[in-house]
Amino acid sequence: MSATTQIARKERWALLQDQRGLGWLLAFSAVLSAFALLLISNQELSLLDNAQVVYMLAGTVTTAGAVIAVILGADAFAGERERGTLVPLLIAPIRTSELVNGKALGLVSAWGLMYLLSLPYLWAVGAGGQNLVQAILYLVLFGTPVVLGFGYLAMALSVRSGSVLTSLLTSLIVLLFTASPLLLGPGLRNSTIGRALDAVNPFSGALNTYDAVIIDSDPFLAQLPRLTLVLAWLAVTFLAARTTAHRPRFH
Amino acid sequence: MKPLRQYLFAILLPLLLGVSMAQAADLSIKLEPDQSNPVTPTMGDAMHFHSRIHNDSAHPVEGLVAWISLVEVTPGREQPMDLEDWSAHKAVAGATLAPGAALTTDWPMRLIQSGDYRVVISATDRNEQTVYTSPTLQFHVARKPIIESSRILPVAFGLPLLIGGVMTYRGWRQRRCT
Repeated sequence: MSATTQIARKERWALLQDQRGLGWLLAFSAVLSAFALLLISNQELSLLDNAQVVYMLAGTVTTAGAVIAVILGADAFAGERERGTLVPLLIAPIRTSELVNGKALGLVSAWGLMYLLSLPYLWAVGAGGQNLVQAILYLVLFGTPVVLGFGYLAMALSVRSGSVLTSLLTSLIVLLFTASPLLLGPGLRNSTIGRALDAVNPFSGALNTYDAVIIDSDPFLAQLPRLTLVLAWLAVTFLAARTTAHRPRFH
Repeated sequence: MKPLRQYLFAILLPLLLGVSMAQAADLSIKLEPDQSNPVTPTMGDAMHFHSRIHNDSAHPVEGLVAWISLVEVTPGREQPMDLEDWSAHKAVAGATLAPGAALTTDWPMRLIQSGDYRVVISATDRNEQTVYTSPTLQFHVARKPIIESSRILPVAFGLPLLIGGVMTYRGWRQRRCT
């Protein structure tokens, strides 16, 4: 078994067996439960169309997934350092690239678990409505690059700063800024600046695709520019994590 | 004696009833749906109705109260509806209408349940005991697939409980091992 696989397995089991990891999954589930209960406890919200609710839930899953990916990413290197386990890891006979790939795969596993956890919620709010299957597929296609991208960004900052708090706060600020379209809605973003930000914001790319596919039933080909955007975001952040891991600046 | 009684009756009756007779209102109410209302209203849609209450009498109407009522006429479910969730604008009170004047009111409504409904506007004033009503408007609200609590509740409570249970079990096992 390669070092990458071993590290990835360790990260996955840490999430599944460690109380703290399970706590994150519980928090993720609680966020989705709160959203679902809000829908049925409010008369106005309960009348929303299934597709609209599925779109909102897909956005919530992506946001909550990105928040937890940021927390795990910020902990990836700086957390090891603060716990005193980074030096043994760095002097172990593994390459830095294997360490980064293992941590990156660990994030993939974490997102995979969150995604699986979100499926019952999507079914609960969207069964009987339109485009539920499309929503599930596009959450993989667009949610995965966005969520992992934020995890890798936090990972890069974690290596760079050596502090969980610094990398966590910086990543969360970036996440808050990019996730603002979730609060503003398409109508308020329909200006020159709003459209320009949407064109380069991976979060907007994912949200606009959810909107177009789940609510408007747009075809896949129309989503290709946005898919390119989110994949570019994933590639850039992963490269940033890899590059910084080779040159850590721990004080 | 008989002519005297008739004479007194003829004088006293208008005096006794003078107030209400003198201010007797004559209201006519028109009710129309808004032009922008959906052709096939569906649950969750918003609808607007416009009423026009006209004072046809030669006397002012004071303390006018007008209100909207909704009745479900779906076969087997005939009942008056509680407008609590349907509309926040349920009545107009305290208006004064000069002779010949009219009060136009917009009645917004959010369609909460599917079925057949009739809407009607009623009005009265502070002096009269008569309640005037508009002609009724009937409409059908089509059902649409919406979220169902029977699906959401087990998931929303079940999954956090499941994860919480696993955490408790693991914590208990760890304490037992150490």
